Amino acid sequence: MAELMLPDSRRCNYFFLYDGSKVRGEGDQTREGICYFYPEETPLDEQELLCGQLVGTARCVSELSSSPVRILRLRRNKFSIRVKDDFFWALGCSVEVPTISVCELLDQLINLFCFYTGSVRQSYQRNSKESLAARWAQYLSHLQSGSSELHHIFSCLRTIDSTNVDPLLLLKAALILQACQRCPLVLAGCILFRGRVVSTQMSPELTMKVMFHESETYTKPQRPSAPSTFSSFGGAVGSTAVFLTLSELQYVQSAPVDKAFSSHSTPHKSTASKKTRLSRTLSDTPSSSESEPSDPGSSQSAQKLYSPHLSDRSVLSPDPAAPRPLEPPLSNGTLSPEAEEEPQEESFYYSFHSNGDGGSRTHNEGEMPDPPPPRSAAFDLPEESPPIPMTLYLHRVKGLVLALLVEPHFLSDTASMEEVYHCSLASLNGLEAHLRSVSPGAPGAPGPYIFAHLDCIQSTLTSNLSGRPGGAPERPFVRATSLLHSHFCNTETLQEAIIRSAGAAVYGTRSVAQETYFQQHGGSLRNSGIPNHQDSAFSLPGKARHRLLKHGVNLL
Amino acid sequence: MKCLLISSESAEVLFHWTDPEFQQNVQEQYGASQEDGQGLPAFEDSISTLFAPIIISCSTMVDRLGDSYTSFTTENNHIYVLHQFDECLYIAVNGDGEEDEGDLRRKIYVMKKMIEVMFGMVTLSSSLLRKELRPQDTEQRARLWKHLQSLLETYSHLRENDQSFLVEAVERLIHPTLCEQCIEFLERRLVQQLNSSVERAGEEVLHAFILVHTKLLAFYSSRNASTLSTSDLLALIIMAQNMYPSNIDLDDSNPEDIDSTSGSGPESFYTPEPSPRDGDSSSSADMPVRGSTPVFEFVDPDVQMAEDSLHTLDVPPPDPSTPRRVFLEVSLKDGLYPMMPHSMYCLPLWPGITLVLLTKIPTSAVAMSVYTFLEAFAKLEKRLSEGMEGSAATRGQPTIHDVRNKLDKFIKALGPSEMKCTQLQHVWTEFKSRIARGGSGFNRDLIQSCKNMKTQLCGIYRQCFLIESGPADIPRRLSPGLQERAQTMVQDKLMDWKDFLLVKSKRNITMVSYPVSKLILLPVMSSFNLTYLEDFPGLIHFICVDRSTGQMIAPSLNITERNTSELGKGPLAHFIKSKVWSLVSTTRRYLQKGYSTVTLRDGDFYFCYFLWFENETGYKLEAGDIPVLPDDSAPIGMLAWDYYRKLLRYYSKNHQGEVVKCYELLTVHLGVIPTEVILQHCRQLASKLWEPSRNPLL
Repeated sequence: MAELMLPDSRRCNYFFLYDGSKVRGEGDQTREGICYFYPEETPLDEQELLCGQLVGTARCVSELSSSPVRILRLRRNKFSIRVKDDFFWALGCSVEVPTISVCELLDQLINLFCFYTGSVRQSYQRNSKESLAARWAQYLSHLQSGSSELHHIFSCLRTIDSTNVDPLLLLKAALILQACQRCPLVLAGCILFRGRVVSTQMSPELTMKVMFHESETYTKPQRPSAPSTFSSFGGAVGSTAVFLTLSELQYVQSAPVDKAFSSHSTPHKSTASKKTRLSRTLSDTPSSSESEPSDPGSSQSAQKLYSPHLSDRSVLSPDPAAPRPLEPPLSNGTLSPEAEEEPQEESFYYSFHSNGDGGSRTHNEGEMPDPPPPRSAAFDLPEESPPIPMTLYLHRVKGLVLALLVEPHFLSDTASMEEVYHCSLASLNGLEAHLRSVSPGAPGAPGPYIFAHLDCIQSTLTSNLSGRPGGAPERPFVRATSLLHSHFCNTETLQEAIIRSAGAAVYGTRSVAQETYFQQHGGSLRNSGIPNHQDSAFSLPGKARHRLLKHGVNLL
Repeated sequence: MKCLLISSESAEVLFHWTDPEFQQNVQEQYGASQEDGQGLPAFEDSISTLFAPIIISCSTMVDRLGDSYTSFTTENNHIYVLHQFDECLYIAVNGDGEEDEGDLRRKIYVMKKMIEVMFGMVTLSSSLLRKELRPQDTEQRARLWKHLQSLLETYSHLRENDQSFLVEAVERLIHPTLCEQCIEFLERRLVQQLNSSVERAGEEVLHAFILVHTKLLAFYSSRNASTLSTSDLLALIIMAQNMYPSNIDLDDSNPEDIDSTSGSGPESFYTPEPSPRDGDSSSSADMPVRGSTPVFEFVDPDVQMAEDSLHTLDVPPPDPSTPRRVFLEVSLKDGLYPMMPHSMYCLPLWPGITLVLLTKIPTSAVAMSVYTFLEAFAKLEKRLSEGMEGSAATRGQPTIHDVRNKLDKFIKALGPSEMKCTQLQHVWTEFKSRIARGGSGFNRDLIQSCKNMKTQLCGIYRQCFLIESGPADIPRRLSPGLQERAQTMVQDKLMDWKDFLLVKSKRNITMVSYPVSKLILLPVMSSFNLTYLEDFPGLIHFICVDRSTGQMIAPSLNITERNTSELGKGPLAHFIKSKVWSLVSTTRRYLQKGYSTVTLRDGDFYFCYFLWFENETGYKLEAGDIPVLPDDSAPIGMLAWDYYRKLLRYYSKNHQGEVVKCYELLTVHLGVIPTEVILQHCRQLASKLWEPSRNPLL
């Protein structure tokens, strides 16, 4: 009866992509269809066995139910399944991992592939199986690396520990991004420091994808297949082709930047606009003299267009009273309670509109485990609307990276590139120096409590757990959190819960925008289990409200 | 869209049940519309073909990867749950969102439990069970499947509508005076009289109980009987309900309605609107037709005939006085004997009120011997397959020499006339010759011989207890006259109470200060005034379960069109009911993962769940570790697999020499009530509600 499950250190036990179109005839072998199989050292016949069985079973079930299979569960592994045309993906994790996280991991993996490689079918037509296999391996290892178990449960972004960082630095990062965005060829950007997000203008899903490239260039700068770098910028700048889905593009474009200026109506205009706008750097102060048009012929119209824009824009001297010109940058949500509330409201907008596939989220009351993945919009195989080629521009200053999504012809537009480079260089250097000097943040004495706070909108996690290696005392907390998270995902009406085992009582609460989990150490957990209002477990909500305020988590 | 399929490893259908939607779905997929009359084999073929790839993949996975499928989910939320018991693969499917994975797994386990109750130790031999579940004779097969289908539907209906089947514990009618009288009556009059009659044909009544719908009015076990386990009792209630279904929605009526219909032949009131469950004609096959019994048309077999034509074959109703053979657990001083043969007599008193008699059959000693031998061979086989050889394999009790002597005697006693017996003797001789070489005989090669012996023993068991005795045999059962007398005796006894009982079974405890319930309850719960609305403001519902005795108490949740319960009418009451049902499944999930206290704020409600242990004097014991189980573990409950018995055993390890009791409390409160008040309510309920349980009558 007491089958205690041991946590598996590996997040993913199996992953494979199977191309059914390669195995059509009687004589075709299953191995022909296996595009990639992880772990790669698996004997080929075992690969064939697993692929053959899962694909066959999934097909049979789909026929019976007239719907694709989402999850195949075995006693020891659970597989998230995705099927697109002839392609069949399966990702298997230990049964302990919440089903929702397994589904998210697979979707992230496929999306990552599509982001850097484009359409799966076309990629396999153009490239060798081996080279693409290497890519799957990279993406998989990237998604499995580093992060804590909690990050895996919530599938959230890794951010810098903003409690240790001067909020002004975060603001500065946001301003750098806004300044870059003044180039109409720049869609959106993010700033990363040592593999963690400092500030981003993109959706969490898109940011996550961009982060892969950052970590790849960081860890393997000398990769032969490394994307082009530009010698003129001292090797600090690079770029790579990426592919956005239509909805991602729409979201990026829908950011409240005055896109009238990004219009490519005439090349002339856009050149003019660049000249004027890119002449400004962060250290500049806005002055009309700097936007003197070089071409008097076209300047009139351009000037008319710009002047309201320029006067409106208070980028360089932020005025709290002025309307926020841009999508609020990711700030890890913990600057101050007020600062946190505001951006969230606006963030709702995109969470409900850009992830507009809400209909697929089914509310299944009785069932707690294994929901259908709510974020099915995250899986956006671009077959319906072909992937839109874009370029990811990276500017690295030691541990700091500025990543910008730019129009492909940005690279050929030397002027724009130089302007973006120069307008941000000084600020990036400054930011890097500041961030580097920030002590890596002693994870703090293991306090009398553990908490985890998830910002569902920005997909960021705050916790006093993350710094420590996964120790035994935290296991009960992580386990309870994973169960409660699944329960919250399944039951929309559930607001808070307290669950207690013999060893630990954990409190979880959530709103539309956040989930918070809290466990108090010590105290007399020993009790009879009979209802008792003096029981310490029931004081958890109050304690959580009180204790977490200093972490910027407001549960009121 | 529901389906339950039992299949052999070679994808042979051993049983299937589908609801009309699923059946339609299968037929659409199969394209061809089936001809009337030839429908049955064709449907069976198509379902077998459709599931075959899954079934074959299952055994491939087990053989080659040592792992097996437990469940599938599709994007449109169809759920498939799979479980393999020996060589039988069970697949349960739901495509309408009404059941979750846990429900499906539970259904599979309940199905297995019902098969065990019906076939006993034959289930221990896959090859025999396969033949039993899929008789060659198509008519016989149709009859058996129909019966199993009907049992499954009865169970599903009870699980969805009856709180005692939701939490899998028995609910008693709370009326101490009457209960006491009835128990006394069963003991002094009924059972005594039956057991002293010559017409009992060697059978001995061990247990007698009276059911009012699904609730227990009185239960009496004779002195030399072992306790009837909760699991078995719940299974028997399902069987009784299946024979004499009480339509919960429709017979919830005012006493006047019942008066007007009592004992006077078919009445429209008792003719429910056709629902898939009630339209099932096998329940009518189970209906006794007897002169002295008032006959009520519960069902109209014709209504569903057209729709069910694929399933329906004209089955002659069995002799109503023929008892059902049931296999129940018996615990004796020298150990636990599962699946011991009994006869079950289900005697309807009035619609909704049934007398059930369980008798020990004269040959039941054979079953005990068979079980002892089976166990010995299973142990030996296990040790051999673990690689032990020689004397290491024969260690333990009983020694192989004991077994040898006993088995020799057993075979001699069975007599050579039994055909099976010669086979058993043959296999046994072969086995003996293998082990005659002493220790060296005990090696891996002996495993197959062990298996053969087990199969032969199961075969003997089957022949003794499952095969209906031929016409030449003297019928071994209580004579029809004796059954009739028993029925009349209890009818006479309860004549004045029956209307009251039928109402009472619907309103056992209510949440309002309901005069009747107050009057009834006050004498029992002298310290506890059950006017919940007054004493527990904000409390909407609760369920309290004593897991040591397998009994539960909960206010009635009557959801009918005609009756306004205290929860209100229609949608609200349905909403609360669905909340209670989902709360139970949620808390089970947490309990499975080791959490014994759960509180949830969900919408406008606040839910609490507590599980705790007490010793016999009511002292609250310290909460202990609750084992963490995998997702696909057996369902938590008492019907199919007694989780709580295992839990108590696990917990008692640290409480040697103490009688440990286990309780559960679930509450639903309005969310606006402060948590402290809610917890206070829970405490009061927990400490007071079971006070009357010290009274043996409750």
